[in-house]
Amino acid sequence: MNPRWAGVLLLIAVIGVLALLPMLVNNYWLRIATGALMWAGLACSWNILGGYAGYINFGHSAFFGLGAYVTALLMGDKLAWPFFATVPAGMVVTALFAIIIGAPTLRLRGAYFAIATWAFAEVLIQFASVMDFTGGIGGIGLPPFLDERFFYFAMFAAAALTYLITWALFERSRFGLKVKALRDHELAAEAMGINTSLVKLQTFVLSAVTASVFGAIFAYWVTFINPKSVFGGDITDQMVVMVLLGGLGSLWGPALGGVGLFVVNRLIWMYWGDTAFYIAILGAAIVLVVLFMPNGIAGLFSKRAGNSGAVLEKAVDKLVGGDQGEPN
Amino acid sequence: MDLFLQTLLNGLLIGGVIATFTIGFQLAFGVLHVIDFAVGGWVVLGGYLGYYMAAGLGVDGFLAIPVAFVLFGAIGYLIGPILYNVRNSRTARPELMALALTFGLFTLLRGGMLTAWGFNTHSVPTALSGESLAVGPLTVPLIRVAAAVFAVAIASGLFIFLYRTRYGLAIRATAENRQNAALMGVDIRRLSANVYGLYAGITAMAGVLMGAIFSVNPEVGLRYTLFAFFVAVLAGLGSVGGALVAALLLGVIEAFVATYVGSSYSLLAIFATLFLVLLVSPRGILRHGL
Repeated sequence: MNPRWAGVLLLIAVIGVLALLPMLVNNYWLRIATGALMWAGLACSWNILGGYAGYINFGHSAFFGLGAYVTALLMGDKLAWPFFATVPAGMVVTALFAIIIGAPTLRLRGAYFAIATWAFAEVLIQFASVMDFTGGIGGIGLPPFLDERFFYFAMFAAAALTYLITWALFERSRFGLKVKALRDHELAAEAMGINTSLVKLQTFVLSAVTASVFGAIFAYWVTFINPKSVFGGDITDQMVVMVLLGGLGSLWGPALGGVGLFVVNRLIWMYWGDTAFYIAILGAAIVLVVLFMPNGIAGLFSKRAGNSGAVLEKAVDKLVGGDQGEPN
Repeated sequence: MDLFLQTLLNGLLIGGVIATFTIGFQLAFGVLHVIDFAVGGWVVLGGYLGYYMAAGLGVDGFLAIPVAFVLFGAIGYLIGPILYNVRNSRTARPELMALALTFGLFTLLRGGMLTAWGFNTHSVPTALSGESLAVGPLTVPLIRVAAAVFAVAIASGLFIFLYRTRYGLAIRATAENRQNAALMGVDIRRLSANVYGLYAGITAMAGVLMGAIFSVNPEVGLRYTLFAFFVAVLAGLGSVGGALVAALLLGVIEAFVATYVGSSYSLLAIFATLFLVLLVSPRGILRHGL
């Protein structure tokens, strides 16, 4: 059979199983599946900027947390908005923040951007911890809604949409080509007439907004959030590891890395409880992947995967004699 | 007025200690072109070394300073080539991979320390802990003075090394233009390993001092990584001279916010300043070359 059709059949089978899952398993496993879908989606959301545009975001939890806090605050006793009205509100707030942070820092090389995003997430932790309206360190509760199937399907829909948008925009459109071109050689991309600042900002906003949707569903799902649980650095750490593990800049890599790592997380949790050991494992995983498997799991399947992205870079290297100047 | 002067003095003394590890951080960036997230990890490890030497062996915390330099200098010397290889590898995006590597290293150190030593806070006992000197209306904690003196000594030593020795010249040349430096016969790979070792050693020494002044637990590493970033952004990445000024400024900002607004706001104020600087003048406001 043609490998292309095999891929399509596999995809249909996966979607079919995921759609029927609530009828097949009990609530315990459904919760785990919901979490796996969330992490697969979040990893994809991080990969939109990190993988396709080549800008590492070390504060992606900021956008996840913004979505969660907007939903939590709007659904509170005073306002009592319906859940589905809070999601777009969270998306708008997140997009605004992404523009404010992204516009100045995306003009610079990756290092400053990494610092700025990391600092932004820490600002939000501190801000949410000292302010009264966010409930301070104690956090904030949401009206409980105990329908596991609702949250499963909400996460499923959000993750599926995230992957669909990523596929359509970055694998099948001119926009994706622009983004990959600027990742591989920003100067050359600019010379071709691509408005790199605008394209980067659009990519960043898309990446941030998708994360906020998962944050909103997560807040409603767990019914209680605090600054550490939604803005915490561990959330970003996990996204970074999942994407690196799965394969930076590949469409399905983040799904593999996300589900794989989440399962490991749950196993550790089952056997040892809530432990700092997991943080050490995350760190070791990042180090090992960078050293020994820089193209991730996806890179193991296609020999070209890691290098195909850098075609333009190599071509330009040849033209200008390999000297692109110093970074930064 | 007394409170004002006292706060200013405290801030400057702390700023001096911050300067020691941020200068190393800038040096490592200048040579390796890697933003080292692990900087806070080295600070905390230095602090723990001081604590365990004092608690386990019963010696004064200050004795841990040379030990920290040798031990973590050696560890840094071993890690340096790995960082160098990743940064200069032929994979698609070496800059991001190197950044991810130090991020992973930092997470590994933090997780490892949390697993081994838990969330408890320890401080490094020294002969000067708790002693203070009255100068007019001001009280000066002796430990802070000693730390600042150490910091000045380390920084001056580093400056003499950089500007008065042949090897220092090679380091500065590499930071300015690695290709030309390599053409002049500098072994960049070995130099990178040495610089990372030097930086890790200095940072761990500063960690012992920080542990003696404040206290140490695995989670405060984040704070020190933030300090290093703050200084790097304010001074411009890779600028050593600017790092000194920016570190003193950081110490003063922190002291004033902690005294006049409240210590829970000090991190928020630092982040906000960092952010404003990035918005207004993203390449640093104190830009000087190495």
